Amino acid sequence: MIFFKLNTALGQPLYLQLMQQIRHAAENGVMQDGDQLPGIRTLAEELVVSPNTVAKAYSELEHEGLLELRQGSGAFLSINRRSRAIADRVQAARRKAECLVEDLRAGGLQDDQIWRLFETVLFRGAEISAKR
Amino acid sequence: MLWYKAWLETRTRFSICLAGILILCSYSVFHGERQATSWVDGRYYNYVLSEGHALLALMWVFAVILLMMGGLLREEALGAAPFTLALPVSRQKTMAVRIAAGAFQGLILAVLPWCAMYLVASILGKTFSLPQTAFHLLLLLTGGSVFFAVSLLASSTLSGEYTPAVASFGTMLAIAAMLGDKKLRIFSPLAFMMGTEYFNPDTNLLVGPFPWAVAAVWLSVAVLLTWIAVRVITKRDF
Amino acid sequence: MNILPVIETHDLSKRFGNTSAVCNLTMSVAAGSITGFLGLNGAGKTTTIKMLLGMISPTGGGGTILGYSIRDPAESLAIRRRVAYVSESQRLYDYMTVAQIVRFTKSFHSGWRSDVEESLLRSWALPLNQKVKALSKGMRRKLALLLAFARKPELLILDEPSDGLDPVGVEQLLEAMVAQCGEGTAVFFSSHQIAEVERVADRVCIIHKGQLVMNASLDDLRESYRQIDIVFGAAPNEAEFQIPGVERIQAQGCQMRVLVSGNAEQVVARARMHDVNSIEVAPIGLREMFLDRVKEN
Repeated sequence: MIFFKLNTALGQPLYLQLMQQIRHAAENGVMQDGDQLPGIRTLAEELVVSPNTVAKAYSELEHEGLLELRQGSGAFLSINRRSRAIADRVQAARRKAECLVEDLRAGGLQDDQIWRLFETVLFRGAEISAKR
Repeated sequence: MLWYKAWLETRTRFSICLAGILILCSYSVFHGERQATSWVDGRYYNYVLSEGHALLALMWVFAVILLMMGGLLREEALGAAPFTLALPVSRQKTMAVRIAAGAFQGLILAVLPWCAMYLVASILGKTFSLPQTAFHLLLLLTGGSVFFAVSLLASSTLSGEYTPAVASFGTMLAIAAMLGDKKLRIFSPLAFMMGTEYFNPDTNLLVGPFPWAVAAVWLSVAVLLTWIAVRVITKRDF
Repeated sequence: MNILPVIETHDLSKRFGNTSAVCNLTMSVAAGSITGFLGLNGAGKTTTIKMLLGMISPTGGGGTILGYSIRDPAESLAIRRRVAYVSESQRLYDYMTVAQIVRFTKSFHSGWRSDVEESLLRSWALPLNQKVKALSKGMRRKLALLLAFARKPELLILDEPSDGLDPVGVEQLLEAMVAQCGEGTAVFFSSHQIAEVERVADRVCIIHKGQLVMNASLDDLRESYRQIDIVFGAAPNEAEFQIPGVERIQAQGCQMRVLVSGNAEQVVARARMHDVNSIEVAPIGLREMFLDRVKEN
């Protein structure tokens, strides 16, 4: 059972947020290949959002190949080889990031300094930044 | 289930009015009888009945005014009009049921008290003339239909919870006051209901053939007022 | 899914004497969607809804609901068979008990869902044998909503449905609305509670002084509305930034705040052509978008 959290203040459509959270869950191993996601109506009622939001998220993920929508049974996670490879890479990257953060902390940097550091590095080239 | 709604809405009023009228009419016959003097039985007795009828006529008008309070305008004042208007029923049908239910109640309020008076009279051993009763009843119902329609029209044109009832009472009082004079009496539906035109004070009986033409006129007035009321409600913005 | 819009109006207008309550309202509401209808008090929300349901006759224009004309009395009857309405005032028949009014309403609709009725009676704890006049404001509101939801209509029109409900009640209401939409009912609701609309609505229509000033999908709004705060090196020329998409500019000295409904990138690009100390782009909520549309220009 995953807990999703949709935020109306982020300037991002809710269905995109839901898609990201499902992808995250798949990448982090919280959800395994073949796991069933709640039905559109059930999830909509649980999150108290429009069923169209859930439907759109599921439909887009089906296009991407991450979800399999079976008529009558529901939505099932379908982590194919490509996504699995991505998931493995993300997990490896996370371990690296964890080490780096520990090093920086050991070096005397505060957490919010580390945050701003990463922000600058990441967003320097971007035209638009959505601020936290 | 509009009939069910009409019944639930009016049952308290109806029951109280019916009980009140039954008691008062029965008592007036009973009381009148006990005050009997050496008058000839027949004449005095008919006098008693005609008094009972006059009382009944007045109370009947009060009751009908009370019963016809309601409808969409009253619901609007109380806030329930949007609910009724959102039902999959036409406004005409809503009104038709209310009118029919009210008419039926009015009929009962006229017939049952007469039955009660008949009962009391029989218990006291007095004879009773069915043609006379029918005469009285028809006068009451045809003349009274005007007040029924006035009450309906008032409840369909005047906003507020009690304003229509007050206006209808006022109309009745005005008719009684202004058209009570001998010359103007033919214009008064109230006088028609009482039957004063056809009343022989010597025999205390209603005489002559039943005035069908005049009755038809009063009924037509009632129908016209009812039609206006229905149109007003149908065209109104709520 | 049905492609026919559930609500469609063309130049719908209503004048009361010399005042124009609704003016040339043209809008379209899609089937199977949840649409929020926002507007200030007296903007014309209730008048519009009443015209849709045949309670007020329009002085101009017209519209259809589920394909039936709102101006024809016979078709209006057909509309009321398929559309459930909960009004602003939550008065019902005071002299009936909860059980009686449920039975009464049920008798008009053959598609009544007893399971929904029972489930809502239970979860909202409505006392069957209590007269309506003895119910609290919130309970009456819930009863009115129950009578609409249990009909399983094709369209639900709700006028300020959360009025009178406590926070738990509001949550239950939103869940029930979402559940209805999940089963195919389109929902059209007016509300002052912008947070509610933001959570569950697919689209939002804003009416101001009788006219439609916005009809957009919330997803689009979320993606395109931005607030851009710029600190310049030297006082900027406001006129330069009046490009399409810019809704409002507030400037004070070297600081400028720009509200855009689109084209945020262009504003940022233009800003970068000057000497800037900082540029911050932030998303804004539906409340700010609404206030921007209805505040006096």
